[in-house]
Amino acid sequence: MAEAAESVVGSKARAARTVLGQLVLPGEELLLPEQEDAEGPGGAGERPLLLNPGTRSRVRVVCGPGLRRCGDRMLVTKCGRLRHKEPSGGGGGVYWVDSQQKRYVPVKGDHVIGIVTAKSGDIFKVDVGGSEPASLSYLAFEGATKRNRPNVQVGDLIYGQFVVANKDMEPEMVCIDSCGRANGMGVIGQDGLLFKVTLGLIRKLLAPDCEIIQEVGKLYPLEIVFGMNGRIWVKAKTIQQTLILANILEACEHMTTDQRKQIFSRLAES
Amino acid sequence: MKETPLSNCERRFLLRAIEEKKRLDGRQTYDYRNIKISFGTDYGCCIVELGKTRVLGQVSCELVSPKPNRATEGILFFNLELSQMAAPAFEPGRQSDLLVKLNRLLERCLRNSKCIDTESLCVVAGEKVWQIRVDLHLLNHDGNIIDAASIAAIVALCHFRRPDVSVQGDEVTLYTPEERDPVPLSIHHMPICVSFAFFQQGTYLLVDPNEREERVMDGLLVIAMNKHREICTIQSSGGIMLLKDQVLRCSKIAGVKVAEITELIQKALENDQKVRKEGGKFGFAESIAHQRITAFKMEKALIDTSDAGEKAGEIIAEAEPPSEVVCNPVLWTPGTAQVGEGTENAWGDLEDSEKEDEDQDGSDEAIILDNMKMDTGVELSDTGNQDATIVLSDSEEEEMIILEPDKSPKKIRTQTISAKQEKVPSKKPMKKRKKRAVN
Amino acid sequence: MEWATQIESQMHTETGASAEAAGSRGLGCSLRHFACEQNLLSRPDGSASFLQGDTSVLAGVYGPAEVKVSKEIFNKATLEVLLRPKIGLPGVAEKSRERLIRNTCEAVVLGALHPRTSITVVLQVISDAGSLLACCLNAACMALVDAGVPMRALFCGITCALDDDGNLVLDPTVKQEKVARAILTFALDSVEQKLLMSTTKGLYSNAEFQQCLVAAQTASQHVFRFYRESLQRRYSKS
Repeated sequence: MAEAAESVVGSKARAARTVLGQLVLPGEELLLPEQEDAEGPGGAGERPLLLNPGTRSRVRVVCGPGLRRCGDRMLVTKCGRLRHKEPSGGGGGVYWVDSQQKRYVPVKGDHVIGIVTAKSGDIFKVDVGGSEPASLSYLAFEGATKRNRPNVQVGDLIYGQFVVANKDMEPEMVCIDSCGRANGMGVIGQDGLLFKVTLGLIRKLLAPDCEIIQEVGKLYPLEIVFGMNGRIWVKAKTIQQTLILANILEACEHMTTDQRKQIFSRLAES
Repeated sequence: MKETPLSNCERRFLLRAIEEKKRLDGRQTYDYRNIKISFGTDYGCCIVELGKTRVLGQVSCELVSPKPNRATEGILFFNLELSQMAAPAFEPGRQSDLLVKLNRLLERCLRNSKCIDTESLCVVAGEKVWQIRVDLHLLNHDGNIIDAASIAAIVALCHFRRPDVSVQGDEVTLYTPEERDPVPLSIHHMPICVSFAFFQQGTYLLVDPNEREERVMDGLLVIAMNKHREICTIQSSGGIMLLKDQVLRCSKIAGVKVAEITELIQKALENDQKVRKEGGKFGFAESIAHQRITAFKMEKALIDTSDAGEKAGEIIAEAEPPSEVVCNPVLWTPGTAQVGEGTENAWGDLEDSEKEDEDQDGSDEAIILDNMKMDTGVELSDTGNQDATIVLSDSEEEEMIILEPDKSPKKIRTQTISAKQEKVPSKKPMKKRKKRAVN
Repeated sequence: MEWATQIESQMHTETGASAEAAGSRGLGCSLRHFACEQNLLSRPDGSASFLQGDTSVLAGVYGPAEVKVSKEIFNKATLEVLLRPKIGLPGVAEKSRERLIRNTCEAVVLGALHPRTSITVVLQVISDAGSLLACCLNAACMALVDAGVPMRALFCGITCALDDDGNLVLDPTVKQEKVARAILTFALDSVEQKLLMSTTKGLYSNAEFQQCLVAAQTASQHVFRFYRESLQRRYSKS
């Protein structure tokens, strides 16, 4: 009786494997496949039949965003859907929680769209939507030297990548890759429209097999930049087309696949 | 918190779009965003949504003595609050220029236009009049605060009912809603603000600008008007030069918009009244759009508490018996005594809770420490209870502890500080132990 | 002025005994109908409006956002709670409630993950028809979840009222609060239903306190189930 109630509120640990793709709430404990057998009965719900239940191998598992490690327990800290990525080599892979938050927290390696808010000495201050502005050196552009400074004005849009991003330090951006190439990064053109969506939608759009992008691409020829910080910059031939694209992408947040397909087919006809 | 800066590219795009007569949300130049009016369960409470801009309005009343120069008139008071909820840049408790400007405009629109019959609010001339207070809270800021606020204010005033009163001789009787139906205010007309944003030095004009449009506009013209096309107030800001024709054109547009909005308001009020009369469900719970996936509702849930008493009994039985009650009252300062353990006194904290916020953990600790200190103080001084008076203040200067016996303070203080430092990491368990130690 | 007795987290570890689900109907205790809408405001990072009967509170959360230098804490996030009354300016009563809510949030928010930032919870009372503090707590929790602020656990607020005959009323209305001998509000966490905060007003015995706590723990199961179902609905399309 008590157990049934608790499984609803999620205070009893559930097996991570069984809740993949499902909603998890802060405070829930997740059991890794290796731990399931170690827990007492009822802990993991239906337990798989193991060939060698006696041995417990040590497996490397990465706790992604929304999860934290406490001893050898994995606890949820954010609300969202649990995701898992199989490891390419050995190990337990990566677990993370896919949440629909709006506020961005800088992560090393993320590509983001920032707005230059100030020039001070030889660095630019860039607003990326985090808790503090990121710094960007004027040398961190392709082909930039002490003599040849990039043409960046306050208010310009920058597409760059974080090289330093952790909770204790000021985040730092660059617009070059490790080979010193721009690789698509740098100042974004003066035209086009910038707008904000949730971080969840950006991740969805940037997923390798995202249908939305393919469908959008069929509508009009366009240039588009996605920042992991929830900002999208889009430019089509005309103002009208740009506006339509921006509104469609914004609306994707609350549409099911069927609704979206209907709208796209309607637009394609017109 | 700072506002997200507006990039050059957004600015340029917006201006170019306006030149092409296009708006971000697909509206036409003279279109308003959707207006939604919902009412609360109390009289005089409403939420007005203008697109994503949201304003909560609440009217309240009380009996006060009138202003000496206007003995027979009730008092109207308007207060718009820009809460931090609406936008990160709004700071609590600060009178920004924008806030002052909006409040002034609202007063001009609603009080100076004499839309409320203030004389009908008089109960006893020169002695008792009604003060009507209109509180407006901006909940979400997506541009055009003033239009949303003026609609919310007038809707709340129309919806409001004040308690009925009767005067017999010198006696004023106030009736509860159960005794006599509350009475509505007498409202002559409904002034509504309509905002026009101007771009490129007045070349282009937009009705009901949203937040991003407001950021790139050159000037703003606000016209308050009622449905009889009487202008109640007009204000131009931003320092643009407007031609006579432009102002006239705006006033014509305002007339049309005000007529539409007034009709909407009346419909909403009638609808609410109908539902109330029929005894149907009303209030904000009914106005949540249930088809939205972000909304969810749960019907009344029955909770089985039959075994609560039993369980409580078990818990008490299992629990350790309470420590011996201290019978001797402890005199903290003259006028403040304590019997038994007790915890933190919440009184003093309230006054300077802002300071407390930063230093809260510290103060928690300090009070418990004081308990202990008092004990040591007594032991050290050996002069009996009444001498060991401790002057406690609830403010930051808590560290300043004045023990009557002169020799002890220094020693104790160093001792407590070191105790504090080692305590910080494991606060709670320590706390418990300390308390027991006191007794 | 109410005499608020604050007992912070882990008051009685013994009371953490898992509460039973309400299977068979017992006494006439019930929670009013609940409703919650999330992400309804465009500007805050997270928002939620919570309705318990006719009591309604709107909450907006910003964070982790930039922090004023004067309020910066080097090893954790600065948590602020603002409670705005519907009529007039915030007074002593609001300040006292802000503090209770702030302490509750502080206990569950993992502030150490975002040092030198601010997490601001703004609560706006929309209508007060009883159990206001509990509703504020629930709204704050849902808004924090919506904003994606990392948390140790969820929390909920439950108000109990005891009338003169010692009968227990859960989630009381204003009328029930007025005639009550004692009103007790608890904040409970979702993992073990342990007490995070309690504030009481009026006279009650030790046994009655425990009884109210047990009842609140039982009721909290329903609230957490409601949380889960509403979040499930919200994430149903992602």
